[in-house]
Amino acid sequence: MTTETRTRTEELTINMGPQHPSTHGVLRLVLTVDGERVVEVVPHIGYLHSSMEKIAEHLTYQQYLPYADRYDYLNAMGNELAYVMAVEKLLGIQPTPRCQYIRVMMAEMNRIASHLVYFGTLGNDVGAISVFLYCFREREALLDLFEAVSGQRMLYHYFRIGGLRNDLPDDFCDGLAQFLDYFPSRIDEYDRLLTKNRIFRSRMEGVGYLSPEDALSFGVTGPCVRGSGVDYDIRRADAYYIYPQLEFDVPVFAEGDAMARHLVRQEEMRQSVRILQQCVEKLPRGEVNVKVPRRIKPDPGETYARVESPRGELGCYLISDGTEKPYRLHWRAPSFHNMQAYPVMCKDAWIADMVAILGSIDIVLADIDR
Amino acid sequence: MTRGRQRLEPTFANLLLIVLEGAWSIVVGLSVTFINFWRKKVTDRYPHRDPNRNWQPRPGYRGDFALITDKETGKLRCIACQQCQKICPDQCILVVPEGKGKERHPTEFYIDAGLCMYCWLCVEVCPADAITMTPDYETATDNPRKLIRDLDYLRGGVVKASG
Repeated sequence: MTTETRTRTEELTINMGPQHPSTHGVLRLVLTVDGERVVEVVPHIGYLHSSMEKIAEHLTYQQYLPYADRYDYLNAMGNELAYVMAVEKLLGIQPTPRCQYIRVMMAEMNRIASHLVYFGTLGNDVGAISVFLYCFREREALLDLFEAVSGQRMLYHYFRIGGLRNDLPDDFCDGLAQFLDYFPSRIDEYDRLLTKNRIFRSRMEGVGYLSPEDALSFGVTGPCVRGSGVDYDIRRADAYYIYPQLEFDVPVFAEGDAMARHLVRQEEMRQSVRILQQCVEKLPRGEVNVKVPRRIKPDPGETYARVESPRGELGCYLISDGTEKPYRLHWRAPSFHNMQAYPVMCKDAWIADMVAILGSIDIVLADIDR
Repeated sequence: MTRGRQRLEPTFANLLLIVLEGAWSIVVGLSVTFINFWRKKVTDRYPHRDPNRNWQPRPGYRGDFALITDKETGKLRCIACQQCQKICPDQCILVVPEGKGKERHPTEFYIDAGLCMYCWLCVEVCPADAITMTPDYETATDNPRKLIRDLDYLRGGVVKASG
């Protein structure tokens, strides 16, 4: 059947969200559809806006730290890392080697935990519910470790300016090593259950294509840009802390579709396990805290610190005017930039594919709206 | 425009291949489910606790608040310096001091647990190690007013009603 013989169709505008379960929060997508084909997508964001940046302006540097957890809640340690890096840059402090190791370990553990949530929710979105349960079981083991370290399961507030809240508990490294022993075999299980599944592959392969040029022009970072064949990882491009001394690969897949982004994340979990194993082995002894003044008053100036969060380049821009409170704080939120490429990915997609594409970007709405 | 990976053409041979592959995927997937069927159970039937698996938070968990009583004197350690009130990012602590010098102590001490974000800053800043957080995490109530902790509650004199 050719296009000429088809019946003339009319375009229809419908809302997806803000309460749609697959939007992982409160995201409203205004779709223009022609039958089952998507003609245009306009994301409407801001339902979860919590003025994270404005709050910083009337809190001291220490007081803002627990808020940093709350903004991208799946990557709380990574946010803290970006924030303390920015403040320490302003103060001109270098954390101790042991502190650097522990911070990198926490960030990588949180990367695994965040990718597990991604795996679970994506499986849930495309109709494979058991993956969700298995992923959350493994995440639970990580959250137990976080709880032992910081006293909380999700919003840790573990990093401090110039150090950490406390050193690692004695049994932490054993517990982590135990987790790292069995976790790679669990990734193989997800591989068999989800990634190699023909039905799942049919949902993911060839949908949501993002060209490398588009990815770069939209400022897409993280697994999304590496799924489009661009080798860009802050841990390599602007290596911080101990990353230059660690051996790990940056997985890059050139296909640019939802499956490529999925494969990048799956491979990243394996690489994070590698990084963590090296960290456990090399973890030096010594102090974790550097002495910082009780009242933190950086000299006037501005700084930008960036880390590789599970979603991409997470940056923290800080301006100090010499008082106890930041003059301005800005988060460079990776989800916000990745989300901008979503209408391009959805061009000519089926409505049913949109959920898979949205899942493959791995957005966190609190990260987008801040 | 290049579109990366293409979807399979819907010819008969391809469709048959997809169906067969899909059937095999289900067998492989169910084998994973079958393995997990025999693994150790990780869930608890909260609140119907299994006495053999009584889950407790790890030591150092940041839960409900308490003011520490000094064992020797039997008085609260709190010297009402109001440092916790000043550092609290949520401003959920109110301390009313009384007396001067060594006699300084709180007459009123309120913490609004509904506002608190359990960040531990008040515990860290306390010069007398007087305030702490207990591993008690079951603090849900039906009335927000019950979430305001007063001095009696913080002293630990309040026996929590269950349920």
